[in-house]
Amino acid sequence: MTDLAWLTVAEAAGLLRNRTLSPVEYAKALIARVERHDGRLNAFLRFTPEIALEDAKRAEDEISRGLWRGPLHGVPYALKDIIDYAGLPTTAHSKILKDNVVAADAQVAWKLKAAGGVFMGKLSTHEFAIGGPSFDLPWPPARNPWSRDHFCGGSSSGAGSATAAGFVPAAIGTDTGGSVRNPASMCGVVGIKPTYGLVSRRGVFPLAYSLDHVGPLTRTVRDNALLLDLIAGHDPHDPGSAPHGASGFTAALDGGVKGFRIGVIRHFYTTDMPAEPEVVSGIEAAAAKLAALGADVREVSTAPLAEYLAVNRTILTSEAFALHEQWMRDRPQDYGALARERIMAGAFVRAADYVNATRLRRKMADAFHALFSGIDVALTASSMDLPCRIDDPKAVEYTYARQARAPFNITGGPALSIPAGFSQSGLPLAIQLVGKPYTEALLYRVANAYEQSEDWVRRHPVF
Amino acid sequence: MAHDRPTPDDIRSMASDIGLTRLTDEHLQQLLQATRTAQARRAALPVARLVATDEPAHVFRAEDGQ
Repeated sequence: MTDLAWLTVAEAAGLLRNRTLSPVEYAKALIARVERHDGRLNAFLRFTPEIALEDAKRAEDEISRGLWRGPLHGVPYALKDIIDYAGLPTTAHSKILKDNVVAADAQVAWKLKAAGGVFMGKLSTHEFAIGGPSFDLPWPPARNPWSRDHFCGGSSSGAGSATAAGFVPAAIGTDTGGSVRNPASMCGVVGIKPTYGLVSRRGVFPLAYSLDHVGPLTRTVRDNALLLDLIAGHDPHDPGSAPHGASGFTAALDGGVKGFRIGVIRHFYTTDMPAEPEVVSGIEAAAAKLAALGADVREVSTAPLAEYLAVNRTILTSEAFALHEQWMRDRPQDYGALARERIMAGAFVRAADYVNATRLRRKMADAFHALFSGIDVALTASSMDLPCRIDDPKAVEYTYARQARAPFNITGGPALSIPAGFSQSGLPLAIQLVGKPYTEALLYRVANAYEQSEDWVRRHPVF
Repeated sequence: MAHDRPTPDDIRSMASDIGLTRLTDEHLQQLLQATRTAQARRAALPVARLVATDEPAHVFRAEDGQ
């Protein structure tokens, strides 16, 4: 049988359903892998093999009685530790919440439980989803499986690391300025920020209310669509939840890109914020491949990247400081240095600047969505740089800000990071596909066609 | 409240005004740096393009009470 560590969700679902693979056998294999390797990667903040084995035994019993719940039944997954799982602490990787045991599941955790998933534990994050890879917190930062000396992105750092390392085939992260797509890009996996409101944020510790999104990280596009099919949907208890949703992402995967109009936002990574040459080459090669597959690839332009980033950060830090103000007064010493500095950036933002940023947000989103009268999907960079060394704080600070993900937390539509090969040094490259709201199915279809034409998903890190 | 180019003394006073009285010198240095970063972002906001009728992205909507 294939090495169980590299089974996709779709592959595992087939084997589990026809009882070629036992959920208990599968869970034990991944538990052993985590126990053997995670001491070097720190992807898990709280590893829960006892829960995983209980879930796996339940799945085995149900499947043996013909009660198959769907493609996640008996399949291991894990959650970023800002997402509530009843009975466990949600720490946000912070001393401030280290004993914060929660009573109820987040809506997304509840959906994955209901789907029969096997819960492996809580994953490392940057503190409160805004710090960086910090060494002054109660738990160490996650590392990149492709090179453990390198940054694995964030803030869903453990989600990227665990998925790439073969610890789980799927993980759930969150994204306020790019925090699903950054680790996806750095770790060579697939990560989506769905349309704002498509996935419930109930039970997810907030960073910035109007920018927070929940999304899956997986090793293949098909698996990502499967996970989004499971977790999307209206939640009347999330005030930002979309009243209607999109669905059927998996069903729409096939069919190719012939005739699709793909607009390349080239100025983001060539003039606004010039990317490293290997990053540019990777994007241009992907665009050429999509053209070779039959897409109509053309160049489009939007507002300068710096304007999007200024709007995103003004809104994000204002909302985050409002949330953290009391803790900053009472126990500032309990934050790590990176999170404290990033949150404090919102302390003296004027109300007029916050309001103007939200006014600009609407204007920029409207203008961006108008682009889609001439294209179906946009293509651009995710990160401008390759992963830097994790022990080089200046390089982390520099490269963290050099990204084209935050614009789409502003516009609210879906944005998907997918692998696009490797640098000469063996580190992952990525591209980002972007759509107008509720067009996740189009993004997945383009991404799937590209993924099928390359062999990136068959390469795995050795550590 | 906000100074165009706050000094360390300014930032200590500004922090105290909003109840941030437990910050160490190291924290105040971080706050100074963070505030300067935020001011740079403010300068990058293209507010000249706004017209009076441009509404915020999230406007209040009255519920019908049903």
